[in-house]
Amino acid sequence: MTGTVTEATSPAAATATVSDDRHRVLRVDGLTVRFRLRDALVHAVTDLRLTLRRGELLAVVGESGCGKSVLAHTLLGLLPRNATVSGHAYLQVSPDADPVDLIHCGERRLAREVRGRQLGLIPQSPATALTPVRTGRRLLEETLRAHGHSREQAAAQAEQLAVDVGLNPHDLDRYPFELSGGMAQRLATALALASDPAVLIADEPTTGLDRSLVDHTLDLLRRRCDAGHAVLLITHDLSAARRVADTVAVMYASRIVERQPADQFFSAPAHPYSAALLDALPDRKFQPIPGHPPMLTALPAGCAYAPRCPLAIDRCGALPADRIVDAGTVACHRPRGASA
Amino acid sequence: MTDLTLPRALSRRRLPWRPGQLGFAVAVAILVTAVAACLLAPVLWPLDQTAVHLDRTRLAPSWAHPAGTDDLGRDVLHRSVYGLRVSLLVGAIAALVATVIGGVVGTIAGTLGGVIDRILMRAVDTIAALPHLLLGIFIVAMLRPSLSAVILSIGLTHWLTTARIVRSELLSLRTRPFIDAAINGGASRWRVMTRHLLPHVLPRMALATTLMVPHAVWHETALSFLGLGLPPHLASLGNMMNDGQRSLLAGAWWASLVPGAVMIVVTLALAAVAARWREHLNPRLRSELEL
Amino acid sequence: MTTHSRRLAAHEITVSFDGTPVLTDVSLHIARGETVGLRGASGSGKSTLARVLALLHRPDRGHVSLDGQPIAGARHQVAPRIRTRVALLFQSPRAAADPRFRLIDVIAEPLRALGTDRDEARRRARELADLVGLTADLLDRRPHAVSDGQLQRACLARALAQQPDYLLCDEATAMLDASTQAQVAAVIMSYQRERDAGVLLISHDQALLDRWADRVVDIAAGRIMAPAER
Repeated sequence: MTGTVTEATSPAAATATVSDDRHRVLRVDGLTVRFRLRDALVHAVTDLRLTLRRGELLAVVGESGCGKSVLAHTLLGLLPRNATVSGHAYLQVSPDADPVDLIHCGERRLAREVRGRQLGLIPQSPATALTPVRTGRRLLEETLRAHGHSREQAAAQAEQLAVDVGLNPHDLDRYPFELSGGMAQRLATALALASDPAVLIADEPTTGLDRSLVDHTLDLLRRRCDAGHAVLLITHDLSAARRVADTVAVMYASRIVERQPADQFFSAPAHPYSAALLDALPDRKFQPIPGHPPMLTALPAGCAYAPRCPLAIDRCGALPADRIVDAGTVACHRPRGASA
Repeated sequence: MTDLTLPRALSRRRLPWRPGQLGFAVAVAILVTAVAACLLAPVLWPLDQTAVHLDRTRLAPSWAHPAGTDDLGRDVLHRSVYGLRVSLLVGAIAALVATVIGGVVGTIAGTLGGVIDRILMRAVDTIAALPHLLLGIFIVAMLRPSLSAVILSIGLTHWLTTARIVRSELLSLRTRPFIDAAINGGASRWRVMTRHLLPHVLPRMALATTLMVPHAVWHETALSFLGLGLPPHLASLGNMMNDGQRSLLAGAWWASLVPGAVMIVVTLALAAVAARWREHLNPRLRSELEL
Repeated sequence: MTTHSRRLAAHEITVSFDGTPVLTDVSLHIARGETVGLRGASGSGKSTLARVLALLHRPDRGHVSLDGQPIAGARHQVAPRIRTRVALLFQSPRAAADPRFRLIDVIAEPLRALGTDRDEARRRARELADLVGLTADLLDRRPHAVSDGQLQRACLARALAQQPDYLLCDEATAMLDASTQAQVAAVIMSYQRERDAGVLLISHDQALLDRWADRVVDIAAGRIMAPAER
């Protein structure tokens, strides 16, 4: 299915505020995150734009180390001191709520109003995210009570959440160090769900889980979206995205290079990197992409994928602007469906 | 791909130096001066340990005697430098002895496990329950008070922490997949021990030793102060503080204060440097063992 | 030598930890040149089975045989040259590489363990690194300074340095993105052809098993289910 390609979206269109679209809960605009290390500058996220609507499950896919997790931490204001952030990320959980700029609203507001309540996180390594001196049950109940449940409600809800995520309620009485990796991951998921946030960021939530639990967790996230919440799923697992995502955004070397509705993406990816990534799947060509992604400390001036791209031409020495392809966008000089 | 492990942060501040860096610089300066003084003293400023000058007892600090003289007319500053020499030497050797004992016990317990581990750890717990200074006094009293008795006394009471540290490190490392991988790759027991286990344990042990030196110095000082340590004519900080008691009532405060101050300042500086070293070691260890 | 004897086999393996049975009467074989898939939920015992087959854990009952020879004992009780014939590739590369070693030394480790001198071992390690797609500039780095994908490649190179006749992959590609997984698989399959090596592929990725495994064995609660032919 060839898509129609029109020229770059004008920046003006992107400056419309969140409230223009009643269903938009998150709008990220021009987000750039850099880390200063001893002898280098890491460009973790560059000029990132994305939007998330109520009821939408957006999967951000990319190789490990491309900056996806940094995106999650940035939105929650959990970056270390050597990070520089610019750009905006407007969160508006309901049409009549005030939009909050996550980047500039300050730690106080993030801690009191946003984290856990409006914006939740299922972290990537649960072992470090769970308080070691509390049992799972205590952790869940404390979170539930903090969000307004009574003692009895919290106890019942904790059991329910455990069942929802596929944990044996009996295991709630264990301490985090007694849990296997997969069980800890499920507990962290339950904790994130306990506060029932409008927007949930899931950072590689299926690490260490076997197939049935992966499917179970993904379906859980899907149900949240169907119930009207929004989920940002960060993953390197394309089959997970295929199972539950509404929209797929591909990250490469700190930038989003393609963003498409899921069906469109899996049947007709527009960016050569997306196409190559899909070809690497065992149920397709099972072919690796030749070459290596660039170091985030040494990003080229033009298209970062050009050195590995079979379609590269001279023009790729200049950074490609976003172009509209069907219902999505792609940052490429020669996307599928375009004339050269 | 470059490392994005988030905890590794360096902060940028407005000041030209990091907070705490000034204190650290001072600590290093003190240590360097102390070590230099200890090394150079026999060459530049020899001391006759047995000489007394009864014509100038209990003189107040002056240009000729910057820290005054004690009740036997001996220059306090001069003896303090030599006392520091002895105390640091005894402290260092004793700390090393304690580390070796603790390292061996911890290694046996950590690698053999089972019944041996349990026996050794109960022994550690039992000894730890005793007040270590009393135990130290007991040991010295059993042997005759001498330099080696003091060193043994410190060594035999201070090895417990090292043993525990080494044992717990080894226990946790032994089950890690990279040890399995090494064995799978054909490594012998010796190779696993020396190439994979010990290199993880040694930095912590070295740090523990350094942190033990101030303890050892204090222990020796206490023993000497009680008259159970080094021979009384030898300048050691503890001996000097013991002798200095006699001068206190006569109003000559410098004879006890100066050696005491020297000991406190130097051991604090040593502890500060060791603490900084531990700080440096920790985040690196954590990011290295990111599992 | 009959075809029956060119295989790595587990014979009625039973393992318990602290009284809890983890594997009960498990028998499984991997012939030279074949790829056997092992599928099971977490807690089914598959990783323990892999460790037993890799001679890293002594079973309470039963034994492992290598090319017809029964092996008694495990770990240091087994001669190094026998141990290295079965290489194990772990799921998490971070836990499987000594954090203090540079990547080149991680890869060279099995060579050094069996007596190769340092320069020769490093030279060979460089070749292997090239084979798995690791660029030379990464070899001087320590594990914390490289990504998971790069580290897993280094672990693969290390496993290949042993020149194993059998390679056991315990969810070795689960944490990798699609392209790195495809590359790791390509390298292993190429080595398999060249060396006629047997591969045990523990995975919950059905698409991967369909594509790569000759046959799949299911394991649940420590017991093997009837093997499924493709």
